[in-house]
Amino acid sequence: MIKIYLRCLLGTLWLCVVSPGFAEDTPVVVVNSITYPNAFLSQNAITAIFGMRLRKWEDGSPIKVFVMPDGNPIHIAFSKYVLRVFPYQLRSAWNRLVFSGTGEEPMIVESEEKMREAISSTPGAIGYLSRSMLNESVKAISND
Amino acid sequence: MNPLKPSLMIKKNDIVIFTRIFFSSNYFKHGLFYLIVFWNVPSSIQAIELADTLSLHGFLTQGYFLTSGNRIFGESDANGSLDFTEAGLNVSWNPNADLRLAGQVLFRRAGTGHEHDLELDFGLLDYTVFSTPDHLLGTRFGRFKNPLGLYNDTRDVLSTRPTILLPQSIYLERTRDLALSADGGLLYGEHRSEAGNILLEIGAGVPRGNNLDTELAYFGADYPGETEPKLSYIGRLSYEREGGKYRAAISSVWLDVRYQPKFPASDDDLPPVKDIFIPVIFSMQYNGDPFSITAEYATRRIQRASLGHALDLDITGYSYYLQAVYQFDENWQFIARYDALYNNRADKYGKGYQAITKRPAYTQFATDWTFGVRYSLTASFLIAAEYHYINGTAWLPYQDNLDPNDVEKHWQIFSIATSFRF
Repeated sequence: MIKIYLRCLLGTLWLCVVSPGFAEDTPVVVVNSITYPNAFLSQNAITAIFGMRLRKWEDGSPIKVFVMPDGNPIHIAFSKYVLRVFPYQLRSAWNRLVFSGTGEEPMIVESEEKMREAISSTPGAIGYLSRSMLNESVKAISND
Repeated sequence: MNPLKPSLMIKKNDIVIFTRIFFSSNYFKHGLFYLIVFWNVPSSIQAIELADTLSLHGFLTQGYFLTSGNRIFGESDANGSLDFTEAGLNVSWNPNADLRLAGQVLFRRAGTGHEHDLELDFGLLDYTVFSTPDHLLGTRFGRFKNPLGLYNDTRDVLSTRPTILLPQSIYLERTRDLALSADGGLLYGEHRSEAGNILLEIGAGVPRGNNLDTELAYFGADYPGETEPKLSYIGRLSYEREGGKYRAAISSVWLDVRYQPKFPASDDDLPPVKDIFIPVIFSMQYNGDPFSITAEYATRRIQRASLGHALDLDITGYSYYLQAVYQFDENWQFIARYDALYNNRADKYGKGYQAITKRPAYTQFATDWTFGVRYSLTASFLIAAEYHYINGTAWLPYQDNLDPNDVEKHWQIFSIATSFRF
C-alpha cells in the first residue's frame, strides 16, 4: 500500500519536473499594440517569425523581431516552451541566414524592461515578455 | 600603356605588405592581449545596427595546424603553421520588406597558393515575390552562396561549422573555390506546416573557380592552358521540422568545367577537355539535447570528354561521414566523427589506379577519425581544438604537398583555433 502511495507521489513529482511549460511565468508573445491590433497568430507564423523566415505582416509592413541574449533564462524558456526549440537551434538558424546572405538575425535587447520599451516604441515590433511584465503599452498574443 | 595599372599593383603590394606585417609580427606574439580585448567586448555588441534597416556582421578566426607526414595550410609538419586566418565582414540592407541587398567580403589565408585571398564571397539582391505565414517565394540575383549540403553556405565561419576542418569527404578543400558561390540567379520557395517546412532552392550561374586550384583538383598538375567553369546548375530540397530538430536535404550540382590548351600547342599540354561533375549529397541531422547527430552521404560522378578521346572517363566516387556532438553544458561541446572518401567506387582502394598510373593507391581514398572539443567563452568568442587520424590522401591539398614522393599514407592533424564573431 505504501509502495503504491509512494509511486503516485513520485509520479506527481515527475509531472511537475517534466512539464514546466505550464508554469505561470512562461513568457508570452507580445507585439506593438498600435501596428498589430490582432490578438492571434498561428504557431506556424510565430515559429517562422522568430526563425527570421517570415519578414512582413499581412499588410506588407516589415516585422521587427526582438529577442534577449542566448543564455538569458527568459529567452531559454521562450525558445523551449513557446517555440519548442532549443536556443542553440535558433542561433544556428540565424547564423546560417546572416553568413550566407539569405537573411538576418533578430535585434537583441538586454532586459525585459528594454524589450517592453523597444516593442512599444517600434512599429511592427514583436518579442516576448513574462506575464508579470505586461502592461497597456504592449499587446499579448495568443497562439492556441 | 594603361595608366591605372601601376597604381593597382602598388595597392595590391600594400595589402601584401600589410598582411605580412600584421600576421607575422606582434599580432600573434600578443595573443594574450587579443584574448583579453575580446573577452571584454560586451555581449550587447552582437551586431552593429547602423540604421534601422542596415546591419553589419563579421568574424575573425585564427587557426594553428600541426601535422605529421603531410602538410595542410602551410608548413604544418615542422613546428606547426599559423597560416590559417578567416575574416569576413558582411552588410545587409532592407530598403523595404520585400527587398534586401547583402554582401560579404572574405579575407583568407590558407597555406601555399592562398597566402592572402581577398574576395567578394557573396553580393546579391534578394526579392520576395510572395510571402504568407505558410508560403514564401523569392529570388536572388548576383553572387549567391551555393546551397550544398548542410555546411557549404557558411563554410568559412567557424561558429557555424562543427569542426575547424570541415568533413573533407563532402566539403573538400581541393574543390573549395568551385563550391563557394556562383554568379547568376536563384529561385527559392518554402512551404510551412505543422508537419514541417519544405524549402526548394534552384539556381543557375557561373561558379567561381581559381584556375590553378581547379586544374590541380581535376588533372593533378598545373598545365599551360586555362581552366574555366561555365554555366552550371544547382539545387537543394530541404525538409525541416520542429524548428530544425530534424533536418534532411538532397542537393546536387551539374557543374561544367572546360580546359582550353595554350596556343600554340605544345607536347606537354592537354587537349581541350570538357568535364561534367555531378555530386549528389544526402544530408540528415537530428538536433537534440544533449546530442546532435549528423550524417551526409554523397555520390560524385565525373564525366570527362576530351578532343581525341585520350582522356575520356566516367568515374563515380562516393563519400560520407557520421558525426556526433555532445553538448556538455552551455559552454562545452565534444565531437566525434568518422569520415570517408573513395574517388572511384569501382576501384575503392586504388589498386587499379596504381597499376595503370604508377602513383600510390592511397591517393584514391581517405578515412578520417576526428575528435574535437569546443569552448564558448561568450556568445561571440570561442576556442576549438581537434585531432584527426587519417588513412589516405584523397583530399590532401596539392599546393602544400607539391612533391608526390614526400607524401605519407597515415598522417595526423592537431589543430586549435580561436574565433570571434559579431
